[in-house]
Amino acid sequence: MTDTLVVARKELLDLRRDRFMALLLGFILVATTLSVIVGAAQFRIKLDEYDQYVAALKASGSAVSAAAPQLFPLQLLRGSIEYIELIGGLFAIVVGYGMVAKEKQRATIELLFSRPVRRYSVAGGKVLALAITWLVAVAVVFTVITGVLLIVGRAPLQPVDIGRLLIAAAVAWAYLLLWSSLAMALASSTKHLSTGLIAVLVLWLVVVLIIPQIGDTMDPDNQVPGGLFKSLQVAKPDEHAVLAHFAGYDTVRNGLEVSSVTKHFERLSFAFLGIKDVFNQLPIAAVARQTLAYSLSLVLASAAAVGLALLTTTRKTLLRRNS
Amino acid sequence: MSEIAIRTAGLSKSYGDKKALVGLDLEVRAGEIFGLLGHNGAGKTTTVNLLTTLLPPTGGQMVIGGHDGTANPDAVRRIIGYLPENVQFYDNLTTLENLRYFGRLSGLRRPDARIDQVLEYLDFTGHENERLGTFSKGMRQRVGIAQAILHEPAVLFLDEPTSGLDPQGVRKLREIIVGLNRDLGMTIFMNTHLLSEVTKTCTSIGVLTAGELRYHDSLAATLDAFPDESSLEDIYLHLDSPRVA
Amino acid sequence: MSGFRATLQQEVLSARRERMPQVLLIVFLGMVSVSSLIGWLTHRTVTSVWETTRAAGLTTAPNPFAHAASLSYVKNVVIYVVLIGALLAIVLGVSSTLRSRKSRTTDLVLSRPVDVAVHLGAKLTGMAIWLGAILAVAGALTWVSIALIMRGALSAGDTIRLAAFFGVAWVFLLVFVVVGMLSGIHSRRETSALLLPIVAWSVIVFVLPQLGTAALPVSLLNPVAAVPVEGGAFAGVQQIVGPFALGEQFKTLSGAALGTGSPGSLGLAAFAIVTALAAGLLVLLGTRRDHLRRDLRD
Repeated sequence: MTDTLVVARKELLDLRRDRFMALLLGFILVATTLSVIVGAAQFRIKLDEYDQYVAALKASGSAVSAAAPQLFPLQLLRGSIEYIELIGGLFAIVVGYGMVAKEKQRATIELLFSRPVRRYSVAGGKVLALAITWLVAVAVVFTVITGVLLIVGRAPLQPVDIGRLLIAAAVAWAYLLLWSSLAMALASSTKHLSTGLIAVLVLWLVVVLIIPQIGDTMDPDNQVPGGLFKSLQVAKPDEHAVLAHFAGYDTVRNGLEVSSVTKHFERLSFAFLGIKDVFNQLPIAAVARQTLAYSLSLVLASAAAVGLALLTTTRKTLLRRNS
Repeated sequence: MSEIAIRTAGLSKSYGDKKALVGLDLEVRAGEIFGLLGHNGAGKTTTVNLLTTLLPPTGGQMVIGGHDGTANPDAVRRIIGYLPENVQFYDNLTTLENLRYFGRLSGLRRPDARIDQVLEYLDFTGHENERLGTFSKGMRQRVGIAQAILHEPAVLFLDEPTSGLDPQGVRKLREIIVGLNRDLGMTIFMNTHLLSEVTKTCTSIGVLTAGELRYHDSLAATLDAFPDESSLEDIYLHLDSPRVA
Repeated sequence: MSGFRATLQQEVLSARRERMPQVLLIVFLGMVSVSSLIGWLTHRTVTSVWETTRAAGLTTAPNPFAHAASLSYVKNVVIYVVLIGALLAIVLGVSSTLRSRKSRTTDLVLSRPVDVAVHLGAKLTGMAIWLGAILAVAGALTWVSIALIMRGALSAGDTIRLAAFFGVAWVFLLVFVVVGMLSGIHSRRETSALLLPIVAWSVIVFVLPQLGTAALPVSLLNPVAAVPVEGGAFAGVQQIVGPFALGEQFKTLSGAALGTGSPGSLGLAAFAIVTALAAGLLVLLGTRRDHLRRDLRD
C-alpha cells in the first residue's frame, strides 16, 4: 500500500468514528430531507386548491376547464440544493480544516514527517479521504432525498431524472470538495491555525452569503413582494424589453453574482434539475451546452482548491515555527 | 552502521534574527544513551527537530547512522524512531490502528506481528483494541514508544519523554529506555531538563545553553570532573552558568 | 463588586484584542456602511424601471416606492445583523468562555472569592457593552450614509427609529452571545464550541422558518419576514416553530422599528426574543462551578 493510501485509510477511519462529523452529516441529511417534505406538502396544498376550484366550477355548472398544477418532482429539491450550498459549504470547511488542525494540535504532524513519507503523500492521502468522504456523504444525501421524493412526494421518476440527479450529485461533490480543500490549504499555509480558520470562515461568509445576497437585493424584481413586474402587471416579453434599457446595471449585478463560485454551483444544479424554469424539461445535453461555462468554472475552481491543498500541506509549511 | 551514530559539525538553526542553535559540534557513539540537558528555551527541541530531519538546518552538517541528514533525509528517517513531547495520537483510533498506521508509514508491509512483539516487550498487551481517547498520559507514552521502535530503528530520539508522567510512569519509562538500549542495542538521544533522569538513564550528557553546547562528556567523567560539587544539580548549574566555556 | 468590575474590564479588553471577532467586525461594519448605497442604487433603478414602463404605456400602477419609508434604504442592514452580526455575537460569546479554558486560567479565577453567577454575569455584561459599542458605531455609520445619500440630516423621528432598530438588534444579538458562551463552557473541543452554535444559528435562521412558511433557505436571506403558507399543516407547524425562528421574529420587529413594514405580530416577536434571552441567561447564570473547570480536548 502506498503512503497516500495509508494516510487516506487512516483519515477515513478517523472520520467514520468522529461523532461530531456524524452530527454534521446527520444535520445536512435532516435539513435536505425536511426541505423535500415541505416542498411536497406545499404542492399538495396547490393540488387541493385546484380540486376545490374544479369542484366549485362544476357546482356552478361552468364548462370552463382549468389546467391542473403540474408537478416536476426534481423542482422539489430546490431547498435541499440551497442547504448544500449554504450549510454544506460551512460543514465542508469544518471537515477540511479538521484534517490539518487535529494533526497540528496533537503534535502527530511531527511523527508523520519523521517517517520516510513522500513529499505529497500526506496531503494526497488527506485530499483523497476528503474526496471519498464527500462522495459517500453526497451519495447518501441524494439517495435519501430521492427516496423521499418517491415516497412522500409520490413523484414518478423517469430514467432521465435519475441522470439529472446523478449530475446534480456530482456538482455537489465538486462544490463540497472545493470548500474542504480550500479550508485544508488555508489551515496548512497560515502560521496560526486560528488565522486559517478566520480566513476561510470570512471567505465563506462573503462568497456564500454576502455576495449572492447583494446580487439578489440588487435585482429590481426582488424589490416588491411577488415581483416588481407582476405588481406592475407587465407581461414577460415586455419585461425583457424594459430590462434591456438597464443592461449596464444588470451586467454589474450579474457580474457580482458570478464572482461567487456558490452561484455557479447553484445555477448548474438548478439548471440540471430543471428548478430554473427555462431549463425545465430541456434535454440534459442542451442544459450541459448552455451551462458549460459554469461547469468549467466549478471544475477549475475545485481543481485549483485541491491543487492548493496539495501544494500547501507539506513538511515545510506544517512544521514552520512561529518564532 | 558506523561506530558514531550521530555526528554534527557546525549545525545551526536561526528563525529570522533569533539564533536557536549555534554551531553544534557533537558526536554520539553507537549504543550510547545520550542526554541533552538544558533549561526551557535552550534549543533542545530545535536540536532534536534538526536531527530527526523535521527542520532543515540553516548551516552545518549532520550524519545520522552514516547518512547525511541534509542531503538524504529519507535515508535518515528510515533508521530513526522519534517520540515528540506531549504527542497525543488519534483518540478515535485504537492502539492497534494507531500503531498499524505509523508502522506502515515506516515501511512495514504487515505490521501486526511486529506490533504484538513490541506491545509484549513493553508489557502493554491487552490494550490493543482500546481507543486512545480513554488512555492516561503514561499509557499514551507507551504507545508513543511502541510506534517509535516498531521498525527497529538504529537511533531513537525522545523529546522530554517523562514530561507529565507520574512517578510510576517515570520509572516504567526509564526501565523501557534502558532496556531498549541494553536488549536491542539502540542508540538513544533524549532531551530532558530533569537531572535525575540523566543519572539514572544516560551514559553520556551534553549541556545546551542559549543554543550553544557548553559541555559534552560521559556521565562517569562528568561526575569525576566535578568532585567538589555536592550534587549533580550543582554540576548542572555550574555547567549552565556563563563562567564555563 | 470589584470582582465583577475586574472581570468586565478583562472581557472588554480581551474581546478588543482577539483577531477572529475583529475580522468579522470589519466585515459587519463594512457591509453596514455600503448597505445604504446598495439600497439607494436599487431604489433608483426600480424607480427608473417604473418610469420606463409607464413611459412605454405598459403600466398605470403607481411607483411601488412612492411611499417607501425614508429608512427603507437600510433595510438590508437587518439581514446583515442576522447573518454577520449573529456570527460575530457567537464568536464573541464562545471566545469569552473558551478563553479561560484554553489558557487554563479557570482554576486561578475560581480560587479567588468569586461567585460563578457573578463571574459569568460580568463576562456577559462586558460582551454586552462591547456589542453595544459596535452597534452604536454601526448606527452612526448608517445615519451618516443615509444623510450623505439624502444630502441632509435625518429627522429626529427617523433617528429615533434607527436607534430603536439597533436597540432591538442588540437584544437579538445578546441571545447569540449567550448561546456562544454556553457552548464555550460545555463543548469538549474548540472546534465544536464554535460550530455547534453556528449549527443552532442555521436551524433558527433557515430550518425553522422553512418548516412553518415553506420559504426556501436562500429566500430567507431577504430582510422581510417570510409569510406563512395558507393551508395544509403549515399554519399549525408555524404556531409551534414560529416563535423559535428568532431571525424571522427579529425581521418583524426591525420592519416595525424602521417603518418598512412587517407582516408578523410585534407582541409575539418581542416576547419570543426576550424569552429566548431570559431562558439563555437563566441557564448561563445557573452554570455549576465544576462545569467551568471542564478540560478542553485538543
